[in-house]
Amino acid sequence: MSRVYDLVHRTRYAYAAPVTTSYGRTTMTPRSLPDQTCERTTLSVEPEPADTTAHTDFHGNRTTYFSVLTPHTELVVTARSRVEVRRTPPAVDELPAVPWEDVAARVRAGDVGDALLAVREGVLPSAHVTFTDAVRAWAAPTFAPGRPLREVLVELAHRIRTELEYRSGSTTVHTTQDQLLAQRAGVCQDFAHLMVAALRMHGLPARYVSGYIETRPRPGRPKLRGADASHAWVAAWLPGAGWVDVDPTNDRFVDDHYVVLGWGRDYDDVPPLRGVIFTEGSGSRLTVQVDLVPAGAEPFV
Amino acid sequence: MLSGVTDLLSTVRRAAPADGAGSVVEAVAGTRGGPSRPPTGGAAVPATAAPAGWTGGGTAGSGASHRPDWSWLEDPADAPTPETLDRARRAGARLLAEHGVTYGGDAADGEDAWRLDPEPVIVDEAEWAGLDRALRQRAALLDAVLRDLYGGRRLLHDRLLPPHVVLPHPGFLREVDGLRLPGPRELVLTATDVVRDSAGGWCAVADRTQAPSGAGYAMEDRRVVAQVLAGVYRQASIARLGPFFHALRGALQAAAPAPRGDEEPGTTVLLTSGEASETAFDQAYLASMLGLPLVEGGDLVVRGGRLWLRGLDGLERVDVVLRRVDADWCDPLDLRSGSRLGVPGLVRAVRGGAVSVVNPLGSSVLENPALLRYLPRLARAVLDEDLALPSAPTWWCGDDVGRAHVRAHLDRLILLPTAQGPGVGAVLGWTLSAAQRETLAARIEAEPWAWVAQEPVGPSGPVVDLAAGAATAEEVAGIATAAPGLVTPPPGATAEVRAAVLRTFAVAHEDSYTVMSGGLARLSAGAVVSSALGAAAKDVWVLANPDAARPATQELPVVTEPGAGPGPGARATARSAGPLVEVFADGLHRVGGIAPRTAENLYWFGRYAERAEDQSRVLRALVDRWDDFHRTPWSAGGRALRDLLVALAPDALPDGRADVGPDGLLPAPALRDRLLDPVAAGTVATSVRRTLRAAAAVRDQLPPDAFAPLARVERALRDERQRRRADGSRAALPGGGAGVTAGMRPTLERVLEGVLAVAGLAAESLVRDAGWRFLDAGRRLERAQHLVTTLQRTVVVRRAPAVDDLVLESLLGVHESPMTYRRRQQSDAGVHVVPLLELLLRDRTNPRSLAYGLRRLRDDLGAVPVAGRAPDQRDHLLADVEDLVEELDTGTVAEAVTDGGRRDRLDEALESMRWRLLAVGEEVERVHFTRAAAARALEDPWDAGALRTPGDPAATAGTGGPR
Repeated sequence: MSRVYDLVHRTRYAYAAPVTTSYGRTTMTPRSLPDQTCERTTLSVEPEPADTTAHTDFHGNRTTYFSVLTPHTELVVTARSRVEVRRTPPAVDELPAVPWEDVAARVRAGDVGDALLAVREGVLPSAHVTFTDAVRAWAAPTFAPGRPLREVLVELAHRIRTELEYRSGSTTVHTTQDQLLAQRAGVCQDFAHLMVAALRMHGLPARYVSGYIETRPRPGRPKLRGADASHAWVAAWLPGAGWVDVDPTNDRFVDDHYVVLGWGRDYDDVPPLRGVIFTEGSGSRLTVQVDLVPAGAEPFV
Repeated sequence: MLSGVTDLLSTVRRAAPADGAGSVVEAVAGTRGGPSRPPTGGAAVPATAAPAGWTGGGTAGSGASHRPDWSWLEDPADAPTPETLDRARRAGARLLAEHGVTYGGDAADGEDAWRLDPEPVIVDEAEWAGLDRALRQRAALLDAVLRDLYGGRRLLHDRLLPPHVVLPHPGFLREVDGLRLPGPRELVLTATDVVRDSAGGWCAVADRTQAPSGAGYAMEDRRVVAQVLAGVYRQASIARLGPFFHALRGALQAAAPAPRGDEEPGTTVLLTSGEASETAFDQAYLASMLGLPLVEGGDLVVRGGRLWLRGLDGLERVDVVLRRVDADWCDPLDLRSGSRLGVPGLVRAVRGGAVSVVNPLGSSVLENPALLRYLPRLARAVLDEDLALPSAPTWWCGDDVGRAHVRAHLDRLILLPTAQGPGVGAVLGWTLSAAQRETLAARIEAEPWAWVAQEPVGPSGPVVDLAAGAATAEEVAGIATAAPGLVTPPPGATAEVRAAVLRTFAVAHEDSYTVMSGGLARLSAGAVVSSALGAAAKDVWVLANPDAARPATQELPVVTEPGAGPGPGARATARSAGPLVEVFADGLHRVGGIAPRTAENLYWFGRYAERAEDQSRVLRALVDRWDDFHRTPWSAGGRALRDLLVALAPDALPDGRADVGPDGLLPAPALRDRLLDPVAAGTVATSVRRTLRAAAAVRDQLPPDAFAPLARVERALRDERQRRRADGSRAALPGGGAGVTAGMRPTLERVLEGVLAVAGLAAESLVRDAGWRFLDAGRRLERAQHLVTTLQRTVVVRRAPAVDDLVLESLLGVHESPMTYRRRQQSDAGVHVVPLLELLLRDRTNPRSLAYGLRRLRDDLGAVPVAGRAPDQRDHLLADVEDLVEELDTGTVAEAVTDGGRRDRLDEALESMRWRLLAVGEEVERVHFTRAAAARALEDPWDAGALRTPGDPAATAGTGGPR
């Protein structure tokens, strides 16, 4: 199956006081992968940046730097891409049935082929992923001895979907896994971080994936343009299958309704946009719109 | 203070002490393996690691307790005696204070002084040559490892270096992966800390590759020791430190990006972590030695993908940054968000090849002590050579065998986190209780890759070296560590030196490295050597064979350092402690303009230095009047005294009043506090402290001599404070009367001497560039404000002539004009208002007059560049004050007296001048010193673009899914 999408991701900052200079970095260009092709992509910044430059980062993601040197009270960053997705989600039964302890042992022993550095990095804590007793306790029931990793993945995703509430605005970039578990509510980034933490602390390589998911309107209502979502999920390493993408927010394997932007150790490696601004003022109003529609639909402006 | 009788680093050439354990060293660790290298299995405990030997407090059986070998002196009787050394130590401390040499942040009263033991560490040239070779090999190896880690990472793929050594290390910056310096080397500057091992050879305990500190201290130590031990210094043929700094300049040049087209080369700067940094002196001193502008992150800006230095009149391109800021703080966009020490976009500029950062961002990955474990095999794999300089036996806990060994020997090892930081330092295993060991073991088990254990090395005890500026060893996450007795000597005891570390330096030079011939030795009474814990420094003399020809490079007049003669008498006329003069003639481009921050500091340097002088003169006048008249408060003199106190020192009086009490006496004014209080506003001590702080921030702009007079002023104040404390404890002072001012007059004279010397230096020793203009403008404005304020407080009241005479006479003294006044008014014995006003306000030939000062101020401000903000308002205000002075009819305003005895019109005129001068100050700051708006991080989008409601994803309608 193959789907072609037009993707628009617009981030707008409105400031009360003028900003003299803005420096920014985006990771909003979809990666080209065996099951996904980024056919074209543009990034526009308003006001016109004095300098932009793109490169491929340590994890292989495309990232773009920009600087705006003209005073402004509004900064708009818009990424537009056309992406073809040919992704068939794995069927659980077809994944190799390797006990999770065996996977951890192979990683420890370095018996992982060419993936050595990626899997070794995948078992380390990182800025947003910490190994705590609370996470260990939460994850423990899933890690029964001898259980195949594929089942562990399915159950972790299912438990996150059912035990934690998805609540927009309930967390910030600083929320820890312990806080998430205490409040039992979060957003997709939190769920991805939690699942990554649970895997890594058992010696199982996992990484954080940033991307998009296509949404559909509620029955009987027209699709709202710009209301799609930037999204995050987990890729876990399974010998014989490679990196398997699992979306704990929606309790499912990642399929052709998803577009991958990039991945890293956690959110910190692949935020869609980060920046430094120079201003005497304080505060800003931020709006983000994402539109992921079949190619050829009327363009979103 | 350390007794200094043990020298743990010098070459040993005399007979071995009793145990004879390898204390005769011929040369070098170069070809030896480590004496106690752990077997690969790591199970055996090296015999040298018996804890009893280290904690017993003594050095029984130690083979290295000896004095440096002075036998090379032509007349052995010239060898320094304990008395000579005591004198040298005191003289050295004085010099260091005069040079403003500090270590550690902003401590008061000399607690941040750099400690130096003048008795040098002496290493003979033959032995040094081996160490030099070993260090060059080590630098080349580290360079190759660095290139690989940010390139192909073959060392990791091929398992020569376990990935878990590198990947979790905070120094491994993925953001700079793949970036390269233009020159042949990635690792430009490196420092290695070495100790003597139990067999007397050299042994590395740590490598400093981030932004090694200490080269500046080493140079300063040399400068001081050469002076205080001039007798032996001149007889010695001591290898110079200069070639190292010359090579460093060359290395910076070699690292510069290739010029674009026919562009002029850009400038090279030293990026400092600021005056609050512990090693601020080292950084500033290095900058001035290399002739580089000392800049902070805020002075730099990235535009168009290139790095620029903000000048007063525009931007100047920067090609090379010698950084003293830790890499992750260097760019708040791509590295640590929120850092104010860096420059947003710096990584981008580096990536574009527009600027070279030295050492490159990411180089601190080599500081991981776990690397010590793998260097021997890396040397064989990368260089196809054996590692020449052994490391202290080291185990990495990320390795199962290593962890098992560490676990079994926690009580005899030094535990080092792979990345030291605030609150994370070395732990001496043998100081832990059983429970603490368990806690530590659990922490190691949780993150084994983050821990290394090192076997203590050293002839007389274990040595832990802490990076300058690293955490103290007091705590690792709640684990109390080093017992006090180990870290510091027991109070009152004369501690014997227990541990000594030599920091060596190497800099990339052509296809190899140049090693500093000498280094920074540091000694400690405990097992931990750390400047933060009071370790004393020593100069290191590499003694050349007098018969050998001197290498040509040593003739290069790189940095004038105290001339060391090849033999007795040869360089007897060498300047033994002159200021370091740059005579670099190479092409490193010097910056033309100055940064607003620099201009601002120079301006405040001028203002505070003048303020200290003004306040001292006021106090001196008050002290004189008090001494003469405090017993007769109702006499003309007593009334003048009271008026002057109220006018000029209200803060020293209860409620600002000087009323005569029922006992017929004046309340004792707190004049001494106005001199000595180091915290209160408006005191001499406060102004001196602020002068020093401003000076330290622009150390690279000032002649080194500028610090000596200020140091003398500080000492004068400190002496007086101590004297007061001593007197106070004996309760010897009367509450009032003569006791109020006892001892102040001589202290004030010392203070004035010092601040006048500073003024003289400013007038005679500085180039008239924009920086000097700001310094002078600060001084002129301060003086003008002081003049108008003091006049307004004194001469607007008409007093009885006998009283006024004395008040006005004091006023002339405060403004240093009594002699001029006398010469002009010879016919009259008294002092009158009109000629006084003429002299102090209008006389353009009097350098103390307002008219003169205003003209200087106008000239100064007219000569500095203005960028952006309009100076009109500033110039208008200044012109207005000049007009007011010009138009002032002193005769008329002096006679216009109200019924209450006030000269209202004079008051009005002075008030008009006063507020305008204040406004001029505000305008100067607005026009010239306004810096870029504050930087902050863009609000993180986090979930702003995420799903609003989870029920909507189209994907849920699709096929598949975990279930």
